[in-house]
Amino acid sequence: MNAAPALIGYAAAIGFLSPRVMLRSAWPHRAPALAAATWQALAASFSISVALAAYHLATPTEHLHAGVMGILHSCGVALGAVGSHAPTTADRLAVALPVAVALALAAGFAFQVVRARRARSRHRAVLDMVGRRSHRLDAIVVEHTAAAAYCLPGRHPRIVVSGGAVRLLSPEQLDAVLEHERAHVAGRHHLALAAVEAFSMVFLRVPLARHAREQTALLLEMIADDRALRRHSRDVLASAMYEMAAARAPRGAFAMGGDSALVRLQRVLGPRRGTHPALRGSVAAAAITVPLLPLLVTCPLGIV
Amino acid sequence: MRRLGELEAEIMDRLWKWGRPATVREVVDDINTHRPIAYTTVMTVANILFNKGWLQRSKQGRAWLYTPVRSREAYSAALMEDALGTSEDRPAALAHFVEKMSDEEVAALRKALRNTGGRSRT
Repeated sequence: MNAAPALIGYAAAIGFLSPRVMLRSAWPHRAPALAAATWQALAASFSISVALAAYHLATPTEHLHAGVMGILHSCGVALGAVGSHAPTTADRLAVALPVAVALALAAGFAFQVVRARRARSRHRAVLDMVGRRSHRLDAIVVEHTAAAAYCLPGRHPRIVVSGGAVRLLSPEQLDAVLEHERAHVAGRHHLALAAVEAFSMVFLRVPLARHAREQTALLLEMIADDRALRRHSRDVLASAMYEMAAARAPRGAFAMGGDSALVRLQRVLGPRRGTHPALRGSVAAAAITVPLLPLLVTCPLGIV
Repeated sequence: MRRLGELEAEIMDRLWKWGRPATVREVVDDINTHRPIAYTTVMTVANILFNKGWLQRSKQGRAWLYTPVRSREAYSAALMEDALGTSEDRPAALAHFVEKMSDEEVAALRKALRNTGGRSRT
């Protein structure tokens, strides 16, 4: 029996249904790091099932004369070792399609990382010339009236704050903002973002791709908020968020950030509810299992 | 050992502060009030800055007079433009503290802050 229908069904479930389940659940915002990892796991699982489905579609009748070699073949092991016949077009396609999926994802990730790195190093070259290093803030201050705080992650990270923001915020608020930015740098959040960006480039129309990208960006902000909350009160962080947003809002302009700041602010101010360890444990277990599932679908006998 | 970039920034810093064309000798003398530095080092770095497009120069007698091509404020403004502008273009490059928002969204933020803030203080 060919595993292609099962794999396609599984990919459809992960690609179309799993984002709905994730968006309806309450736990992701309480455990943002776990939720971000789960989105990545779902993306990986989807990619693997699509690659395997492509392989099986290209070799539709191959496994009917099964036997042990057939099972191995169906698992993708012993490629080309089966049979003595010369490789056919279908055989070549069977290898080429999954490899193409893997290559597209790898190339997408590399593209995102390189593009972002280039933009950062251009920015950093000017920043290092124009900005003033503040040892007190452990950040670079750029003299400008606009209130801004951001970071350049990567191997030569910079935390940047504008003079406008320094004057706008109290010292405690400022430190909460900078702590938030340090969390982005320390957590290498740009790589997690590049991974989901690459995924959504390759699987443009799949709901999972769009939601994984949007939610990962929001969850990374929440992770950084939580880090700031370790050293500062909720009121300090929330009021800093409001001050910065209010100072930046242009009159009559269209919304660009969406309501993510509002979601974050409500979360920061709302009751601090953690997640039950049992829930965390089962989600973590599911996140680890989910990328392996398509392999189990493909070769159920292989593991017995 | 100071990095080349730091010396570049030091030279630019002085020229921006003085706000007038200056020779390498003037820059060297000013840096020498804090620490010793060789004339040739500063001359080399000023030449690099010229080639990178940060400085322009004109001949006065046998020495070059250096001036910043653009003001510090102009660079800062361009920098902020780059950082705060539409980030759709380079998602993973700069991580903002908050995205740009509309007046309505800011009003919603203020409301949320006032509501929960009031509750937590009672």
